[in-house]
Amino acid sequence: MTSDWVISRMEAIFEDQVDAMERCEDDGKLAICMRIRPRNSVVPAPFQGEHDAEPASGEASVRMRTIRFPGKSTPEAWKYTVITRILELIHEALISGVAITKRDIYYRQPDLFVTQSVVDRCVDDLAFTFGVPRSLLNVSAAAKGLVLGNFTIVRADGAAMNGLSEKEGVLVPNIVPTDTLNLRSVEFVLVVEKEATFRTLASSNLKDSGILLTAKGYPDIATRSFLRTISTTNSTLPLFALVDFDPDGLAILSTYTHGSASLAHENAALSVPSIQWLGIKSQDVSALEGVHARQGLLKLTKRDRGLAQRMLGNEVFGEGGLEGEWRNELLVMLMLGVKAEIQILEAREGGVVEWVKKRLGLV
Amino acid sequence: MVVLSSLGSPQWRINTSTQSKQYLTLHTLESIHPTDIFALAPTPSSILTGSGSSTIQIHSTVPPTNPSAPSTTSPAKAATTAIDGAGGQSNEQGKEFAKLQELKAAHALGCHHIAVARETFRRAASVGFGGEVKLWAYTADETWIEEMIELDMPLDGKTTKKAGEAWAVALSYNGRFLASTTHDGRINVWELEGSDAGKRIREYETKGSWGMCIDISADGRFTASGHENGSLYIFNNDTGRLLHSLPSLLRPVRSVAFSPHTTLLAAAGDSRTIALYEVSSGEQVANLAGHSAWILSIDFNSTGEYLLSGGFDGRAKVWNVGTRTCVVTHGESEKPLWVVRWLPKIGGRSEMFVVAGGTGGVGVLREASGG
Repeated sequence: MTSDWVISRMEAIFEDQVDAMERCEDDGKLAICMRIRPRNSVVPAPFQGEHDAEPASGEASVRMRTIRFPGKSTPEAWKYTVITRILELIHEALISGVAITKRDIYYRQPDLFVTQSVVDRCVDDLAFTFGVPRSLLNVSAAAKGLVLGNFTIVRADGAAMNGLSEKEGVLVPNIVPTDTLNLRSVEFVLVVEKEATFRTLASSNLKDSGILLTAKGYPDIATRSFLRTISTTNSTLPLFALVDFDPDGLAILSTYTHGSASLAHENAALSVPSIQWLGIKSQDVSALEGVHARQGLLKLTKRDRGLAQRMLGNEVFGEGGLEGEWRNELLVMLMLGVKAEIQILEAREGGVVEWVKKRLGLV
Repeated sequence: MVVLSSLGSPQWRINTSTQSKQYLTLHTLESIHPTDIFALAPTPSSILTGSGSSTIQIHSTVPPTNPSAPSTTSPAKAATTAIDGAGGQSNEQGKEFAKLQELKAAHALGCHHIAVARETFRRAASVGFGGEVKLWAYTADETWIEEMIELDMPLDGKTTKKAGEAWAVALSYNGRFLASTTHDGRINVWELEGSDAGKRIREYETKGSWGMCIDISADGRFTASGHENGSLYIFNNDTGRLLHSLPSLLRPVRSVAFSPHTTLLAAAGDSRTIALYEVSSGEQVANLAGHSAWILSIDFNSTGEYLLSGGFDGRAKVWNVGTRTCVVTHGESEKPLWVVRWLPKIGGRSEMFVVAGGTGGVGVLREASGG
C-alpha cells in the first residue's frame, strides 16, 4: 500500500463532500464515516495488510461512526470541521512529500483544535479508518529535531535543563514564555540538514562554544520555533546553516529562513532571516571534485530538476526575489547537473569538523 | 627562434615558432545581468546575453556610428554619466558597447543557451530554464523580434505531455535548421523555413544520457552532440544516420564545436582536456591539456586556426590548433566562464573574443596590434 492510495482515498472523501453540497437535498448533509478505535486498545492501527482487508473477526469493539455537518449538535459540527481540516493538512503533506508532526498540525490552527490531544486522537482515528500505519500519512508523533550545545533552560519552577546533558543531543525542547533560556556560553548556532552530520559534529568540541541543531531534513515547527527563540533571545548570535548542495538542501535553508509556502500564516512568527548559508556551495563542489574525483558528486535527478524549476518561480528564489545568491546557486546547480551531499566533506582531510571550523573562523 | 631584431619591433616575434599572443581587455560590460551569464551569442555588431534574468540583453560591440557622439575621453565621459543620471537612457545609444535592446520576458525562469545563425545572423534561438525554446528574427530596422514558429515537439509515449524539454541548441549557419538536445539524450532537428517551418525532420536517439551540448557544422551536413556520460556523436544530417560514435571522454562533455571547414570536431568538459577529432574518420587526433578546472565552453575562430576555451575557475585559454599549444591564458576572476566566443571577423578589425559567466558581466578582449 502506498501513499498514492491514501491520497486517492482522501480525495474520494473530499469529492463526496462536494457532491453532497451540490445535491442540496433535504438530507444532503456533509458526512464523513470514521472507524473508531476501541477505547481500551493499546494498538492504534492494527491493520497493516492490503487496503481491502476486512477487520479481523473478534474485533467487535470496532465501531463505525458518521460525523455530519452541521449535524445534530455544535460539538458534532466542530468534530466534522476538525476532521476535514486535518485531512486537508495531511493531504497537503502527502502531496508535497513532506513529513509533519502531530504538533505541526496542532499549530496550524490551535484555535480550532483547542488541545494537542484532539489532534492526536483524530490523526490516529484517520489512520485506523484507512487501515494504514500513521507513518503512511507522513505524520510522526513528536518533535524530530535534535539539539546539543552549551545552553541551559530554567523552568518557572526552578527545574533546569542543560544542553550538554546528553552526548548525542536531546529532542528539541518546547520553550514557553515563563522559561529562561541562557545562551551566555554560546558563540554561534549551526543548523545542519542531516542527523549523520549532526552526530559527527556532536563528537567534536564545537558543542562547547556553540549550539548544534538538526531537524533531520525539512524542519518541523518545534525545531523552527526553538531556533526562532534562540535568535530573539540573543539577536547578535551568528546563525549558520549547513545543507546539501541540491534543491532540497536549498529548500530546507529557505524553510528555516523564510518559512514554507504552505505555512504562510505561521511564517512571521517562525522565520529566522538572519541565518547565514555556510555551504555546500558550487565553489565547494568544484574544489572537492578536484581532489577526490567524483566521489560524493551525484547527478541531478528528474525530480531534482523539477523541484528546482518550481523553486525558481517562488518568492524566495524567483527573479528579484528575497535571496539573489541562492537563486544563482540553484541556476548553477542546474547548469552543472550535479549535486553533493554534506558527506562529501568527510572525504577531505579533517573531515566535516575541520571544514566547519575553518568556515566559522575557529581555526 | 628567429628574432627579427633588425625590424626593431618586438611584436614580430609572434610569427616565430615558440609563439605567444597577446590579448588586451578592450572593455568590460560590468554586471549587466543580476546572476551569472550562462548564454552568449555574438553577431558582427552585437552580443546577445542570457542569465537567470527573464530578459535577454543585447549590447553593441562596434564603435558608435554617430559622429556627434561624445568622445570617450574622461571629461566627456564624466559629463555623459552625469547626464545619464538625470536624463535616463537616451545617452546610452551613443556610447561604445551601448545597450541596444532588451528582450523582456523572454524566459520566465532565466535563459541558459542562445545560438545564432553564424552566416546570415538573421535568426537566433534561446532556451529557458523551463525547457522552452524561443526563436528570434533580426528585422530590417536592426532589432530582434520573437518569431512565431511552432516547433513540433515529440510526445511522451504515455501522455499527451510534450516530452523532452530542450537543453542545448544550435542553428545551422544559414539559419534554416535548429537542433536541440534533451535531458534523456535525444537530439531533434527542425526545419525553420518554408511551408514546413516547425516540422521536426530528424530525431536521433542515443543511449539516454543528458545531451549537454550540440553543434551543427558550417556546411550543415553534420550535427554533433556531447553527453553527460562522456559520449560524443556525429550524425549525418543528409542521411539521418549516426556517422560516428566517438571515443568517450568518460566525463561530462560540456561543449562541442566543429571547425569552420568541418575538418575537426573539438570537445571538452570535466576531463579538463580538449579532444580534437577528425570529422571524416572519427579518429581522435589531439588532446589539449592545460586547464585545471572543468571546461565549460569552447569556440573556433573564423579561420579555424585558434580555439578559445573557458573553465569553471575563470581561466580562458587560446590554443593554436596547428601546433596544439596554448598561446594565451587569461583570467581576471575565479568565477566560472560559462561561455567564451570569438566575435565574427569584420573588415580590418583585430581578432576579438568575449568571455562571460560568474561576474554577471562580459569581458571583451582584442588581440594586441601587430599580430
